Amino acid sequence: MNNKFDALQIEDSGEEDVGDTGFRPAPKPGPGEHPLQFNYSIWFSRRTPGNKTAAYDQSLKFIASFASVEQFWSVYSHLVRPSEMSGHSDYHLFKEGIRPMWEDDANKHGGKWIIRLKKGLASRCWENLILAMLGEQFMAVEEICGAVVSIRHQDDILSLWNRTASDTATTTRIRDTLKRVLHLPPNTIMEYKTHTDSIKDNSSFRNTDKFIR
Amino acid sequence: MSAPESEKQQSKVRDIPIRRVVLNDISQLPSEYSSTPGGTFFSTTPGGTRIVYDRSFLMKCRNSPLAKSPPANMLNIPGITSPAKNVEENGDAQDIKEEGDKNEKVSAEDAQFEMDI
Repeated sequence: MNNKFDALQIEDSGEEDVGDTGFRPAPKPGPGEHPLQFNYSIWFSRRTPGNKTAAYDQSLKFIASFASVEQFWSVYSHLVRPSEMSGHSDYHLFKEGIRPMWEDDANKHGGKWIIRLKKGLASRCWENLILAMLGEQFMAVEEICGAVVSIRHQDDILSLWNRTASDTATTTRIRDTLKRVLHLPPNTIMEYKTHTDSIKDNSSFRNTDKFIR
Repeated sequence: MSAPESEKQQSKVRDIPIRRVVLNDISQLPSEYSSTPGGTFFSTTPGGTRIVYDRSFLMKCRNSPLAKSPPANMLNIPGITSPAKNVEENGDAQDIKEEGDKNEKVSAEDAQFEMDI
């Protein structure tokens, strides 16, 4: 077992820049592992202090891909929890092949649900959100693109991206599942924003459509 | 709907695969209706296979030795990732185990968890 990982780690000499995005495909699930419906990739981004205009895609770093429940845990256990991240930082967990960008082919007609959380809740809510996504609890197999946790100054924000913003039946079902898996109280404000609107105002979380149930 | 005699003869009778899980105590029953004792296993459905896992099953996999292996070829970002270095295996396994224990306690509290937004 160790030999396999030693071999794979030859390239990983602790360098941050692995050229382009550094994307590496997920290993095939080994014997005894539980395969996931989709392979996923986890990415990290952080806004450089004092440089608000730095291109987002420059700050985006590919961390790892995984194909099984066990591979997910081995990656997740080697990452700090979202609430322990400093500054203006995000984790992005997307299906392998979908870049966490509005402009990606899988995202360009899509949008996202946004949930703003008080400080202190992000780590647990993020875990509940991604476990529901990896376990296919959203009943929207092809529609889910990925999830993001954004650590910000005032509050922390969870987002769940889906492929087709105009498909209200699906987005409503996703919203209801979100409420269930995150244990959101009934009067929680949920916000939806299409990626075309985000591209127009160059903002992830301003000018959203608000829904209260 | 009657298939030709030749086709009928080709279909064979097969047992439904089963697995027996022995429970010694009521506490071993899963808390969720959708779970089965011993863990919820992924299943296939006609016309489209969807691999579904519930939260408690995923949490259980966290303690698998396979899940504790160092991640294969993971990017190192100081302060964010802590990929297993070439340290003594024992020390490393210890760290991960402690983290797993801590998380178990967290998940045990989850049933009562109510969010205040």
